[in-house]
Amino acid sequence: MSSATWRAHFTFNRYSQICARALRQSLKESERVKAEKRGLTALRYQHWENGQGGEQVYLVPPEETEKPKGSAAV
Amino acid sequence: MLARRTLARVGSQPSVLGAAPTNARNMATLRELELRLKSVRNIEKITKSMKMIASTKLAKAQRAMTQGKEYGAANAELFQNAPTETPAKRKLFIVVSSDKGLCGGVHSSVSKATRRVFAEQQEIDPESPITIIGDKSKAQLSRALPKNVALTFNQIGRDVPTFADAAGVADLIIKSGVKYDSITIVYNKFISAISYEAATLEVLTENALKESPGFKAYEMEDDFTKDLSEFALANAIYAALVEGHACEISARRNAMDNASKNASDMINSLQLQYNRGRQAAITNELVDIITGASAL
Repeated sequence: MSSATWRAHFTFNRYSQICARALRQSLKESERVKAEKRGLTALRYQHWENGQGGEQVYLVPPEETEKPKGSAAV
Repeated sequence: MLARRTLARVGSQPSVLGAAPTNARNMATLRELELRLKSVRNIEKITKSMKMIASTKLAKAQRAMTQGKEYGAANAELFQNAPTETPAKRKLFIVVSSDKGLCGGVHSSVSKATRRVFAEQQEIDPESPITIIGDKSKAQLSRALPKNVALTFNQIGRDVPTFADAAGVADLIIKSGVKYDSITIVYNKFISAISYEAATLEVLTENALKESPGFKAYEMEDDFTKDLSEFALANAIYAALVEGHACEISARRNAMDNASKNASDMINSLQLQYNRGRQAAITNELVDIITGASAL
């Protein structure tokens, strides 16, 4: 087994998620659509110190859509 | 002050105030009853539709749960054969709940179980860290045990949880550098479509696995042990997430079912009251007309 240099950068879970994503993207169109749903995550997290919550961060930032949110600011 | 008089008192103190105000008060009460009836009918429609939605989601959630539990079973097999000698002092608690309400006692069942474990102290370090998945339990536990909360997650549970969610949670916990000797996952165990109860899953850390005699019988490279412990954590979190999701949907279905039943009972009793009130008003008017006519 070649020296696994990925271990220095991320965990095994991340490694398996990357491989899974590669596999899903290589599937046939119909199967791919079904499989993509299994890879979705909208997780948000925040660190807590002494009973105070920190800022909420998206694990996978949602993509920016074309339409900007309606705002009264000019 | 006049408006404060209840219907009962109006009945027991007759005719001091004359017919017109009494009629006016009855009409006001009739109007109130009508409004109340309309709003309870709306609520019944809403809770009925929520129950329908939850019933359709339940089938899918249960299927995902039976598939997801296999992951947890694989873990259990491993940890059964590699038990630890020393009991863990400092445990990391992962509390699995969700963001949405209107689902009965699902969130408080998990929060209460966690608080019970802390109260029974024995060998648990009172500074044991807690990570919470789900805003509802986060609100409850951040009030009860604020110093122990280390990390919280949300936006899980809208749809059936995916392994990507569980892997993300596991990674963040490992990267956050929180210290612990073993991990306890507190979740709701699905007993049947109408009942659930809080349960725990134990996951061993990398060090605990290395120390365990059952594991030492094999020669394992450190790299692989670390991978195994990380993957085992993600597995266990995934199993707990899907089972908790199924419990939440079935609890929501039952809660909305009860709410609809209560609402329809209320509608029946309000309708009867309304009819009685309407007929009383009509009778009063008739009496007025007839006494007026006979006086001529």
